[in-house]
Amino acid sequence: MHPLESAVSLRDLVKTFGSFRAVDGISLEIPRGIIFGLIGPNGAGKTTTIRMILDILRPDSGEVRVFGLPSGRQVKDKTGYLPEERGLYRKTKVLEMLEYQGAIRGASPAQARREAAGWLDRLDLGDWKSRKVEDLSKGMQQKVQFIGAILGKPELLILDEPFSGLDPVNQDVFKDLMLELNRGGASIIFSTHQMETAERLCKQIALINRGRVVLEGPLHQVKARFGKNSVLVEFDGDASFLQTLPGVARVDDYGGYREVRLQNGADPQAVLRAAVERVIVRRFEIVEPTLHNIFIEQVGGQTHHA
Amino acid sequence: MHKLLMVIRREYLERIRKRSFWLGTLLLPLLMVGLVVVQVLLADVETGKQRKIALVDGTGRLAATFMSKLGEEKNKDGASSYSVEVVPVKGSVEETRGALEPRILSGDLYGVITAGDDVDATSNFRFYARSVGNVFALKALQRALRESVVGLRLEKSHLDVGAEELKKLLAPVEMESFEVKEQGQAKKRGFDEAYFGTFAFVMVLYMALLLYGVAVMRGILEEKSNRIMEVLLGSLTPDELMTGKILGIGLVGLTQMAIYIASVALLRLYVGMAALQAGWTGALDTISPSKMAYFCIFFLLGYFLYTSMFAAVGAVCNSEQEAQNLQSPLVMCLVVPMVMTFFFVANPDSPAAVIASLIPLFAPMVMFMRIMILTPPFWQIALSILLLIVTIYFFFRGVGRIFRIGVLMYGKRPTVPEILKWARG
Repeated sequence: MHPLESAVSLRDLVKTFGSFRAVDGISLEIPRGIIFGLIGPNGAGKTTTIRMILDILRPDSGEVRVFGLPSGRQVKDKTGYLPEERGLYRKTKVLEMLEYQGAIRGASPAQARREAAGWLDRLDLGDWKSRKVEDLSKGMQQKVQFIGAILGKPELLILDEPFSGLDPVNQDVFKDLMLELNRGGASIIFSTHQMETAERLCKQIALINRGRVVLEGPLHQVKARFGKNSVLVEFDGDASFLQTLPGVARVDDYGGYREVRLQNGADPQAVLRAAVERVIVRRFEIVEPTLHNIFIEQVGGQTHHA
Repeated sequence: MHKLLMVIRREYLERIRKRSFWLGTLLLPLLMVGLVVVQVLLADVETGKQRKIALVDGTGRLAATFMSKLGEEKNKDGASSYSVEVVPVKGSVEETRGALEPRILSGDLYGVITAGDDVDATSNFRFYARSVGNVFALKALQRALRESVVGLRLEKSHLDVGAEELKKLLAPVEMESFEVKEQGQAKKRGFDEAYFGTFAFVMVLYMALLLYGVAVMRGILEEKSNRIMEVLLGSLTPDELMTGKILGIGLVGLTQMAIYIASVALLRLYVGMAALQAGWTGALDTISPSKMAYFCIFFLLGYFLYTSMFAAVGAVCNSEQEAQNLQSPLVMCLVVPMVMTFFFVANPDSPAAVIASLIPLFAPMVMFMRIMILTPPFWQIALSILLLIVTIYFFFRGVGRIFRIGVLMYGKRPTVPEILKWARG
């Protein structure tokens, strides 16, 4: 892919803290206009990578380009950033807080105020504009933080674990907003260790572990690479036999159903036959592996994941 | 530039809108004036009382003159400040004095003066009191005693001098002091006036540097502990954030100084004429426009120097408790020149004062003191300012590097050598 088509292009990025290599030679092309998932376990180097994209940290070596430009001041104006560690001035009024966030991204205070007021109204916080941040509930503060990140219609939106700590209602609000902004043309980098969300939202992903890219590409390609060798089984009866069947790599129990990952070349029909003999099968489906399972396979065992 | 302005704007408005800013701005001068007034009132109450002095006179001939001389000390109502009780010597002078001790301790007597019979001997005259700290009282007693003793000594030397003659001989020699700054412009000024005038301004300078330095440090600590730092750094460079904060809070400081200087200027206009007539020019000279200009210059330079260091402390610490230890050397650098004000005011041209006024860490306060007392050679002022500016430039660069690394670090505070390593980049 040509770098000019990329929203973000990283080449051989390295960052060490003391003797710890947080980012160990990451190269990535993140295309424009899509939601890109930066996934990986805690401590994999996601946040450090993001900080280098935004010039908050300087890489030891390697190159960052955003929309073809070297990382730096211009990049910050085009980028909205919601860090994982996010806060607000507690004693400041909500609208003033957002006015400031808009203003430091290049808007005039009046402009920023107008835009922020519009978003606050839309997210049902219209009555809270002149209240202090500390008077808001946690969920409300999260909305304010999100508005702060999207003020000024950034071309690139970087969201680091945007859903952590959100209640389901707000999760939906944020997800819809993300999709809406993406439809409006914003490129979005979405960093998370929640595989289900990444799978639902991202068109393309990069799996990072121990400072390196382990897997990358469009989601369907990544999955295809792992083949259609998973089976969903829903049944009544004792499931312990599944683990003992020949050709079964692993079994994940999801309560209602089990996901059986097969070894390469194993025959799903054999699993079905074996199951029918022992239990009452209510559902049997050959599927692509979930991102979750790919993640566990790639990372599992090496690192504790949350 | 826009971003920097926006940071300055926020830091400025945020503070200037607070009620505490205005309360502090108004209360500080009121407090200082109040303290002075209370002290004067208290001193008045004390001097209003008549003090009883016992005289144990071994010569047997001092009493009359001493009583009349001490009787000349009047309080502001015209009554005598002292009453003298002449205690006849029983046994030795020392025994007599010992017998008076209970009355000193009970507060009946303010003090006891003993005189041995040899008026020429050293340590012939002694003063015993519960407290000997009252300089004014000691001076008055000493004067009365000296004048009475000189009479005795003259007599002993067989010089017969009449009472009138003696009074003339002993008439006090007063010396008035004048400051020479420009040709033909000598101004009457006393040490007390110079000292207290200077001390008041140095005190304001010290408090302002400390308060605003700590304000910058607190602001950074707040942004760290609220986890807002990274949100801001998504849009701002660390330099913009740090510089904006320092300039914004500096502007708050300047606003406060401007309020003070404007009120002093108004006061000057208002009482100026009356003061000139009263010959009270020395005090007015302390607040001349050129001195106020120097005050602002050294406040600003000192502010940039110290806040950059306070900003570094804020950047590497996680809490105010942690910052306490690191900031104490900075506070010491401010305290040392302040407590040495007396020395610098008394010896503004001494090598120590000249050197201290050129060392950037002390320069803002010491050079300002020297300017208040005398006009130092222009090259010294210029060199001091130049050295300050150069130091500030390097400090800002080093602190900028510390800031960039420090603000996103949580957890263990780095050691001082580590911090210095960051500063070198």
